[in-house]
Amino acid sequence: MNTLAPLLWQRARRDRWTLTYWILGTGLLALFAATAVRSEYGDDAARAGILRLAVAHPSILLLRGLPQGAGLDAFVFFQIFTYLALLAALMSTLLAVRHSRAEEETGRAELIASTRAARDSAAVATLVHGVAANVALGVAVAGGFALGGLALRGSIVTGLAAAATGIVFLAIGLFVAQFVRTSRGANGVSAALVGLAFVLRGVGDALGTPTVDGLHMTSSWLSWLSPIGWGQHVAAFSGDTLLPLVPSLLLATAAGAGALLLGARRDVGSSLLKARASRPQARRSLSTGFALAWRLQWPSIVGWAVGAAAFGLFAGTLSGLIEQATAANPTVADTLRGLVSSDGSVDQALISAMFSIVGVLAAACAVQSVIRLRQEETSGLAEMVLATPVTRVRWLLDYVAVGALAIVIVISAAWIVATAGVLASGDDTAHIGDATVAAAAQLPAALTYLGVLALVFAALPTATVALGWAVLAVGAVLGIFGGIIGAPRWVRDVSPFSHIAALSGNSVAWNGGLWMVVIAAAAAGAAVAFMRRRDLRV
Amino acid sequence: MGAATPPLMEYSVSPDPRRAVAKLPLSHGRKRRSVGIVGLVVEATGLRKRFGQVHALDGLDLSVSAGEVHGFLGTNGAGKSTTIRILLGLARASGGTVRVFGADPWDDAVSLHRRIAYVPGDVSLWPNLSGGEAIDLLSRLRRGAPHDVAEYRRRRARLLDVFQLDPARKGRAYSKGNRQKVALVTAFATPADLYVLDEPTSGLDPLMEAVFAAEIYRVRDEGATVLLSSHILSEVEQLCDRVTIIRAGTTAETGTLSELRHLTRTEIAFSSDGMDASRLAQIAGAHDLEVRDGRVRLTTDSTDLAPTLESLAALRVQALTVAPASLEELFLRNYGERTVAAPPQLATRS
Repeated sequence: MNTLAPLLWQRARRDRWTLTYWILGTGLLALFAATAVRSEYGDDAARAGILRLAVAHPSILLLRGLPQGAGLDAFVFFQIFTYLALLAALMSTLLAVRHSRAEEETGRAELIASTRAARDSAAVATLVHGVAANVALGVAVAGGFALGGLALRGSIVTGLAAAATGIVFLAIGLFVAQFVRTSRGANGVSAALVGLAFVLRGVGDALGTPTVDGLHMTSSWLSWLSPIGWGQHVAAFSGDTLLPLVPSLLLATAAGAGALLLGARRDVGSSLLKARASRPQARRSLSTGFALAWRLQWPSIVGWAVGAAAFGLFAGTLSGLIEQATAANPTVADTLRGLVSSDGSVDQALISAMFSIVGVLAAACAVQSVIRLRQEETSGLAEMVLATPVTRVRWLLDYVAVGALAIVIVISAAWIVATAGVLASGDDTAHIGDATVAAAAQLPAALTYLGVLALVFAALPTATVALGWAVLAVGAVLGIFGGIIGAPRWVRDVSPFSHIAALSGNSVAWNGGLWMVVIAAAAAGAAVAFMRRRDLRV
Repeated sequence: MGAATPPLMEYSVSPDPRRAVAKLPLSHGRKRRSVGIVGLVVEATGLRKRFGQVHALDGLDLSVSAGEVHGFLGTNGAGKSTTIRILLGLARASGGTVRVFGADPWDDAVSLHRRIAYVPGDVSLWPNLSGGEAIDLLSRLRRGAPHDVAEYRRRRARLLDVFQLDPARKGRAYSKGNRQKVALVTAFATPADLYVLDEPTSGLDPLMEAVFAAEIYRVRDEGATVLLSSHILSEVEQLCDRVTIIRAGTTAETGTLSELRHLTRTEIAFSSDGMDASRLAQIAGAHDLEVRDGRVRLTTDSTDLAPTLESLAALRVQALTVAPASLEELFLRNYGERTVAAPPQLATRS
């Protein structure tokens, strides 16, 4: 096994920055969660209020965890553990596929397999490397909690639970990679399994049984089907038991051994599921640049729209309940109002807050459409299209049009689901009007991102990808959380999301929206002017 | 053309008369689609292109006559792809003049593209579109609204057959050679007046190179013009009527193959049995003479061959071979030694 050392070294060397970001990022999230809870929910009464609210409306538990009492440490665990486990799981599946299926797809695995390394050496090295990465992540999580002032024992238990979850999905990622021909496909299937584990645990917790005091909850059996659920059942800072991690270890062993067995019995580069034949001819509709842009973008538009619809569901169903709950607990009401700097009622504030997130999702989807332009340019695909009678400006506008369409689709998906939610839950139908205004208010902000990034692409193409995501992230944070983190007014004003029409009572302020539409149109016009005169740049 | 690289010969603006004669029987009676295109299809003089500090093109001259297959030879980084991108209006020249079908390729890109088929040097495909879908999409984008679908289908089916390409696989599943085939099928499935092919056979096996050559002959006989960039010299020798050699962004040489051969040497070899230094000294016009592995080898000026051959006859040499200089040699002479001393300035763009 002396080929193991160089293979491990190669993996560590290749991943040194990627894993550093994942591990430090997860550790910092643990630290910030601990300090934020301390400052925001400092006293027992506030925490108990939030927990009772969550237990009373279990759909909140979907996005959190299982309440285990109002103690500060246990409350932090309730708030953040599922996200720490989620990060560990995603880091692990990406790592597994990166060093298995992706290597086979590019042909690099053949180079390794033609050396003295045994048939399974690469997979064993990936397992060792992945386990080490998860141990490091567990240490970072435990360190983050301990630095945040939480009890050491519970911090270590949390770290172990996060690492165990990651190791399960490391093995699952390797297992999936045996079946799927492409790394993209393997990543997709693995991420979907992580998502399934997250949702199973969420539904299982939501269907659980609360205790009489409303501060604890026992999950239903569904949570026990999910590796993230197993991690959560260590109940750090309250129960502190490692027994629920036994199924994690069993599943990790089974999936890892399965991957090794299957991998040793198939050809290098082959997959157990064969690639299906595709269409030999294009549909009649695939005959324009716009049709191509749509064809390339629609799967991700559907993804963003499904995410937006989930927030629409919260906006449509939670508002009535929040109104009752916050009547008893003014702290919650203040927090929610702060989210949107709204003077309206709490339920209006909640609808606005949810649709602010929908607006960010819509803008992200549009940003992706412009980033696709840049990817087409760097990959040389744009060259083939532009060598046909398609002008550069037309090519740009096709993708901008798909981006605009995506914004409308994503926001509409959320609005339709919110409206259906209001009708189904028998809430005050006035909320439909609120949802409509909140949805329409997102359009100008998202269009501004689309127009401005199109201009960046035309004028500074090499900056498109980096600026696209960075500007979106800064704008979203300033616009949505600017009030909470105490950013000065002028800084918040930079973000388009600070200017969306705010609901307050019955009046709506649309001025900001109009200005943003003007800015978006002007930026798109400037993009066209720049595009007329620029080369393709690789 | 810069002073550093003096032109080795004047290039002829009119098509080579020898080839025109040779071509007449082939095209006689055929429907020539490009009637009316006479003279130069591509005309570039003093073409310059800068990328920041790098001079990718530094005074390039290129002229391609109607109906000819023009070879465009150069090493990686010499500026071939940059030239082609300018001809297609994908990049804008920093200096010099360029006309394609008499129009400016930057300003009139779209109308020119209706007449041009292009195969990029490094073909990438959309990973989630099948090869067949990519062929159909690009063909539809190229030919615009009115077209003969049945004729297109027939041509497409024939090309898929001769190139042995499976159109039902996703773009990400194709090898380099198969991606190249997708681009070639696309280019030949719709008639064009000008075919711009950037190293089109770099991923093809010899069998497919023969199929490719047949397609080139076919479109040439239909009256189309072909600009074929390559560093595969045998391919250019086989296919091209005229050749332009580009080096470090400038034109090194241009002309018909026979014209370029005049600038080169002829290689002569014969058996060394019974030869000695005094007898070999009688050979007129010999250069680079050496005796190795039982053979005497020498080179001679192609323009000054007759006296050499007469002295060889007088020596009664055995197993004589006389070979015209290959383009490989021509290429080596242009780049071989100088590449070592002064490598091409550009490694970033080809």
